[in-house]
Amino acid sequence: MTATAGQQSTVNICEAQAAGQHHLVSARGLRKTFHENKVLDNVDFDVDSGEVVTIIGRSGSGKSTLLRVIAGLTEPEDGDVCLDGRLVRSKGQRTDEWNAGASLVGMVFQSYTLWPHMNVYDNLTLAPRKVLHMSKSEASDRAAIALKEVGMEEFIKANVSQLSGGQRQRVAIARALMMRPRLILCDEITSALDPPVAAEVLGVLTRLKHEEGLAICLVTHDMAFAAKAADRVVFFSEGVIKVNASPHEAFEECGNAELKSFVDAVRFG
Amino acid sequence: MNNYNFDWALVWGSLPDLMGGLATTIQLAILTIVLAMILAIPLALARMAKIEIVRWAAQGYIEIFRCTPMLVQLFWIFYALPALTGITIPGFWSALIALTANLTAFMAEAYRSGFQSVPVEQVEAGQMLRLSRMQQLRYIIVPQALRQQTPVILSLNISMFKDTALVSTIAVADLMFRSNVIATQSYKALEVFTTAAVIYFVIAFPVSLITSHIERRSLQPPKPKPFKRADASPANPIVPEGVR
Ligand SMILES: Nc1ncnc2c1ncn2[C@@H]1O[C@H](COP(=O)(O)OP(=O)(O)OP(=O)(O)O)[C@@H](O)[C@H]1O
Ligand SMILES: [Mg+2]
Repeated sequence: MTATAGQQSTVNICEAQAAGQHHLVSARGLRKTFHENKVLDNVDFDVDSGEVVTIIGRSGSGKSTLLRVIAGLTEPEDGDVCLDGRLVRSKGQRTDEWNAGASLVGMVFQSYTLWPHMNVYDNLTLAPRKVLHMSKSEASDRAAIALKEVGMEEFIKANVSQLSGGQRQRVAIARALMMRPRLILCDEITSALDPPVAAEVLGVLTRLKHEEGLAICLVTHDMAFAAKAADRVVFFSEGVIKVNASPHEAFEECGNAELKSFVDAVRFG
Repeated sequence: MNNYNFDWALVWGSLPDLMGGLATTIQLAILTIVLAMILAIPLALARMAKIEIVRWAAQGYIEIFRCTPMLVQLFWIFYALPALTGITIPGFWSALIALTANLTAFMAEAYRSGFQSVPVEQVEAGQMLRLSRMQQLRYIIVPQALRQQTPVILSLNISMFKDTALVSTIAVADLMFRSNVIATQSYKALEVFTTAAVIYFVIAFPVSLITSHIERRSLQPPKPKPFKRADASPANPIVPEGVR
């Protein structure tokens, strides 16, 4: 997927897509440079509705930057992004459709980002109340549903400090669900967790994909999850997508020596 | 002082006068603290602004007030500013302006370190939930910053309360000014200034106690008790579908 998609092309990517299959996220020609360090080097990246994509790659290869650009937390120098048929970014700049498109995207972070001065209920309902102007009862109902989806319904009144790491990440997923996203971006959300707890959190994501049709884009070092639960594996290296294939193809049949040595390094430390 | 004849009756007699002064002191302190605590928010934000000129202007302001004596600041506003503008500001208002301008500078630095103590990912999580910049400040950043900086803010306020005594030098009839007048007229400096000291102490000391209590508590956070589930059954295990 390192196509040198014409930046000069006048057809916008959303229109180009309309004819063929419709991706939930479609990014073309993303470029991001930090101090002459090409972190995203003309990256094309798609995610379909209800698809689980895992992004793997060495530290510093640009995985987080890719998620952050799609999320709008980092501004790229160049590239087009189309979210559910809306062109939200053109030649690196946000378009008028940015807000509408970006509301489809939720994110969960590696560090625990629940607001520690609020309880679980307030963490979940703050944005729906203040941004979507939801009524109190509607917000409460939705909070109960979201917590149930992550298996945390008994914890609605708990303080953040009373939750374990895995519980915090599950509540963070529930908080993202409150805004009804179609895509959740997860940046190493399990890397601070013990393997069984990590598996539980990843299980929540898999279930959301199956039950809610949620698309999930997950940066991870968990090769077992990448191999079994992902629909697609993307291997990133030096700001370029080197492999973009089904887990079977990526791990069993792939001729990419770099991916092989990366997987071996992760497996055998 | 061996044979000094204490004249507490004099102090008793002038107590109403001293209390009148105390009222001015408290009025000035409260107005200053309230104004400074509000004005320090935009100043702290300016101090962290991305635009360099804004940041430098804020930093310049803060350094000017941190690196010059408060007495000079007070005199400058009372005596020098009218020479510049042609407008004479009454003593109380000059005092209020000078003290507020000064406390705002120190308060802004306290706020800034509070703001910076909030992890950036917490703010980004708010951004991803479409909270506006103002909402991020109001609901995520400011409450945590205030909580974290409470001891610093309280001690700044105690200092300011004591420093209001400086305004007696520009004839604002505060507790210190009235004490000075009574002491000069009665030649009973010992009783009068001791009384004044006790009054300042009685107000500042409880706040100081609270401050150190909060500081001690924040140094050793209590172990959070695990949350009791409403339902005692084993945590409903989520069977990972893809992972085994
Ligand atoms: N805000 C920033 N300022 C400067 N350089 C940055 C910034 N963010 C990322 N970088 C650099 O960009 C490169 C890619 O970073 P990125 O975080 O995307 O990598 P990653 O693949 O997520 O790595 P990791 O597995 O360690 O999380 C790194 O060299 C990093 O130092
Ligand atoms: Mg990363």
